[in-house]
Amino acid sequence: MQISEFEALLPRVTKPARYIDGEWNAVHKDWGAARVRFALVYPDVYEVGMSHLGLHILYHILNSHPDYLAERAYAPWTDMEAELRKAGLPLVSLESRTPLRRFHVIGITLPYELTYANALNILDLAGVPPRAADRSDDHPLVIGGGPGAVNPEPMAPFFDAILVGEGEEAVLEIAEAAALPSRQAALARLAQIPGVYVPSLYRYSPGGPGPVGEVTPVDGAPASVARRYVDDLDSAPFPIKQLVPFLDTVHSRVTLEIMRGCTRGCRFCQAGAVYGSRRERKLETLLRQAEEAVAATGYDEVSLLAFTSVDHSHIEELVSGLVERLGKQGVGVALPSLRADAFSVAIADHIQQVRKTGLTFAPEAGTARLRSVINKQMTEDDLFAAADAAFSSGWTRLKLYFMIGLPTETDEDVEAIGDLVHRMVAFGRGALGARRGRLHLAVSAAAFVPKPHTPFQWMGQDEMETLAHKQRLLQGALRERAVKLSWTDPAVSALEAAISRGDRRVGEAIGRAWQLGARFDSWGEHFQFARWQQAFREMGLDLRDYANQALPLDAPLAWDHIGCGMDKGALRRQADRALKGEEA
Amino acid sequence: MGQFILRYRKHEELRWISHLDLKRTLERAMRRARLPLALTQGHNPRPKLSFGPPLPLGATSDAELITIHLSEALEAGQLKDRLNQQLPPGLQMLEAWSLPVYRKKETFGDIELAEYVVSLRGNLEPEDLQRRVDQLLASSELVVQRGGERPERTVDLRPLIHRLEVRGEDKSSLELLMSLRTGSHGGARPQEVVALLGLDSETHVSRYHRRALSALPRPAGKPGLGQGRKWRRQTRKESETRP
Repeated sequence: MQISEFEALLPRVTKPARYIDGEWNAVHKDWGAARVRFALVYPDVYEVGMSHLGLHILYHILNSHPDYLAERAYAPWTDMEAELRKAGLPLVSLESRTPLRRFHVIGITLPYELTYANALNILDLAGVPPRAADRSDDHPLVIGGGPGAVNPEPMAPFFDAILVGEGEEAVLEIAEAAALPSRQAALARLAQIPGVYVPSLYRYSPGGPGPVGEVTPVDGAPASVARRYVDDLDSAPFPIKQLVPFLDTVHSRVTLEIMRGCTRGCRFCQAGAVYGSRRERKLETLLRQAEEAVAATGYDEVSLLAFTSVDHSHIEELVSGLVERLGKQGVGVALPSLRADAFSVAIADHIQQVRKTGLTFAPEAGTARLRSVINKQMTEDDLFAAADAAFSSGWTRLKLYFMIGLPTETDEDVEAIGDLVHRMVAFGRGALGARRGRLHLAVSAAAFVPKPHTPFQWMGQDEMETLAHKQRLLQGALRERAVKLSWTDPAVSALEAAISRGDRRVGEAIGRAWQLGARFDSWGEHFQFARWQQAFREMGLDLRDYANQALPLDAPLAWDHIGCGMDKGALRRQADRALKGEEA
Repeated sequence: MGQFILRYRKHEELRWISHLDLKRTLERAMRRARLPLALTQGHNPRPKLSFGPPLPLGATSDAELITIHLSEALEAGQLKDRLNQQLPPGLQMLEAWSLPVYRKKETFGDIELAEYVVSLRGNLEPEDLQRRVDQLLASSELVVQRGGERPERTVDLRPLIHRLEVRGEDKSSLELLMSLRTGSHGGARPQEVVALLGLDSETHVSRYHRRALSALPRPAGKPGLGQGRKWRRQTRKESETRP
């Protein structure tokens, strides 16, 4: 029995199913018949990457086209990386086990900052030089996209092109550019595609410490790149035949994208910049897509994807339609994103007739003053009305999301989170009566991370010591049996902020951190802050200039050449209003 | 309506999916096949399925067993065909039987033995292998450490090895045939037996294959399901009485 070299590695690694072919709805196209071949890569482990809808959409679009082919790869876990390196084998695609360097394009999603070292590692494992400048006509084009693209600068040294915004239409234009015979011709063509940024055609002139500086075009590239945008979400391609993993992934269910974009305007949040204004799919489209996707996958749950699913203009009809059509088959409906109000709870209650799902509310801040600063338009009355509805509908467990380290936050604001949670506990016990013992509140206190293209892009993150102090305050205030408090490591948040507001110099630090062994930084067991501090230091940078410093309001910033809908003046006015405690 | 037993094959790439992955994969295939699955009562309705003893990760098999309960009438052969159309490559239903209505829920509790064929890579001398096997069978105790379980514990594998034989005439066709205890009272994995023989899976073994599941043979005259016959044959015989 012949065993390929790659298969011989499978018995030696944990979860070998991460690396096998044959998931239901995987596409196997004729390699020779495809004019342009894409390897679509998510830079985290399979179980995380499989849950990313964007990659499924592009996979579906490319494979539906007669001239193109797409296969997939994910970041091999550290044990598989060690085996590949020891055996001298390159990273291969899942479907045909073809080395990634034999594809025309390696398309890598940039989902969040802590995966960036993985992206470089994947290129290295594929036998492709991680630095764009070191690649030749023999190498694939390395093209990025996804949420991180709104500030492409930290990845500029490594990518040939980065698509800012939505890929449904752009990916086909990119495929044609990739078909051109030379790298130089392809890059010139790519730079002309709306939304595509070709870093090598721009020069960065730093103007001080931190991400202050100007990115200017050379060789006739456009001065700025505006985010790509799909006008009509309803008719945009949607993958009915969603890939069905063998492993238990983060979201093992049909993902039904009911809306895209967000116009709520929370000042810390990048969603509006990344996903643009609100667009909906029609009720009939969604009911049809849900039924077809359940039939094509066999999943027992449909999850409604949107920033706030109850904002859909037909949410009630949608939910009752789905429950009616799918409930008989034992298929449940999940609403992962709710507003904190009684209406949302009523919708959720309707859903739990089939299967009970968790309820999450996000007040974000503990005081009305701070909620005005961040423009979170939710009152305590809303929150308690929602909780009341939840408890009387039978829920005993709630999740509450808060942030600490928000601009203008004081210790009193942090203590107010504790106070609010205590009042919620007392309220819950009263409302639940005899079932009071089952009350459980999962309270999450994430650290504020300043993000480009938001009104808070100029605001510094709290120093790590300050964040740790605020976490201790909250821990002290919430010694309560019914409450479970979780928070993020301040060092992780600092790194996230530094890369989020990074420029090309931060890119050099990412390259160095990867060389020093950085991998899977979003996994606690692999994150080593010392590695990153050393990398920044060796590049002559101070991580705090990027994470913690307030940036001058009138200076050019490293991501100003990327257009995300809101102009800088509007962002500055929102920042002003925030500091005065005024809502939008 | 009623209860069906299916025997299926798990091989190729799918030998790398775990028992839990397999359960999910089969449930989804059943839903795609639009089988009229009988669901459990309660908050979280689930299909009523029973699975035979889990197959060790990496082993292939054509002796795997599953029970399916349906809420509407369906012919066993049709059930098998509809399911096969929805199975990923590497899984295949081989046989299906409907059980008589008087049979209680089949959970495969009486399966106690799993029979494996371990194909070798042709780098062992038959005499050497036979010597190792004889030595192992002569031992009264074969205590091994089991990692991965908490607390880590030691297990005596000797009573769990029911049968162990060398098959094949020459080096190239050499294989091991082993019957190992399985089921809820503990079992042995073929990889463990290979290690006890002083062999290395990667160097010496090309394939682990499970070819049968059965009940333990019982002394004559004592009642017991199966009477040492292959479990699946016994089931087939019963199913012949179906209407």
